[in-house]
Amino acid sequence: MVRLADIPEPERSYMAGLECTPYAHKPFTKAVAPALRHVAIVSSAGLIVRGQRPMLSNDVGYRAIGADVEDSDILCSHVSINFDRSGFQQDINVMLPRDRLNELEAEGSIGKAANTHYAFMGATHPDQLEDKAREVGKEMLSLGVNTVVLAPV
Amino acid sequence: MSGLAHYLEDEGLSTVVVALVREHVVKISPPRALWVPFEMGRPFATPNNIGLQQRVLKAALSLLDAPGTEPVLQDFTEEAGNLHDSNWIFPALLSNESVIAEAKSILPSWHKAQTRIGKTTVGVSGLPPETVVEFIDRYFSSDPMPNPKGMALVSRARFAIDDIKLIYFESAFANGGQPSSHQLNEWFWKQTLAGKMILDFQEAARIGDNENLRLISGSLVPPERTYEYT
Repeated sequence: MVRLADIPEPERSYMAGLECTPYAHKPFTKAVAPALRHVAIVSSAGLIVRGQRPMLSNDVGYRAIGADVEDSDILCSHVSINFDRSGFQQDINVMLPRDRLNELEAEGSIGKAANTHYAFMGATHPDQLEDKAREVGKEMLSLGVNTVVLAPV
Repeated sequence: MSGLAHYLEDEGLSTVVVALVREHVVKISPPRALWVPFEMGRPFATPNNIGLQQRVLKAALSLLDAPGTEPVLQDFTEEAGNLHDSNWIFPALLSNESVIAEAKSILPSWHKAQTRIGKTTVGVSGLPPETVVEFIDRYFSSDPMPNPKGMALVSRARFAIDDIKLIYFESAFANGGQPSSHQLNEWFWKQTLAGKMILDFQEAARIGDNENLRLISGSLVPPERTYEYT
């Protein structure tokens, strides 16, 4: 697999030109100080926990991935073939850097790494994800999370 | 991801997007975004490169300290480096009698790779790894394998193909080495009977009568080059 810039036409232009409608309303939440940051990761890689139903194309759901879920039980069900999975196969942190986040907590760069991270199907149009995104947002807030790293594929 | 950032910010969470497609974040302009120069599927760079992964994560989180409320887009300039492993070869001699025989002959390497890596990412189809190749090989035959309950047949086929690729790619790491994704793709699609089987399946799905199969046919083979089994 390659970077977007290395994909030949017409696929490159298709991917680069995918509909991305700017939002008229621009919400902005001021960040708290680093020591107070409680950080979760949200991936768009269609990650699931082994045994769960895989995400389908245009899936509007999400999966929660708790700290007790072993790396060996996290699978990728993303519909797209446009990205490499061999990095993820060797090291989950290539897509979901939860070990790196735990290390930042240990060294004091952030206040806390979340116990639960989340995954969506990135191929789904964002408008269709609004309800579940807001649901995940409320859940994270209820768990004390105030900061989110969004990780694509 | 920028769309998710929009909703999460609106709910009261501070977000930072790590972006692989710069064009998309330029269009949507989320509050904070870090573009990274890595291949798609690897937003946090190189497997097991802890230092580089930490630098990406820290660079992303540092954008939370930017003053003001205007959107911030920063480029991460450190490259992942040369990922080509010129010493890598597939660690076993595979049977070329049939795709079923080839799949059977790869299993020892797959088990060895699991021990070495400490995990497997195979399993999304729910089919036993020992029979997943046969499931696809017999799909269009007069004697297809039964589809277990719990998943539509077309979805099962799509995820079975995912699992086949995952088994073969994982097996490639049985003896160590760091083959690039390009090396793995070249090997799998041009030199294995499983790759050829998937190419044939894709073509049959593309021209067949089943609309759902036609829809998935475009998501089975990477788009960046035309593969031909040699």
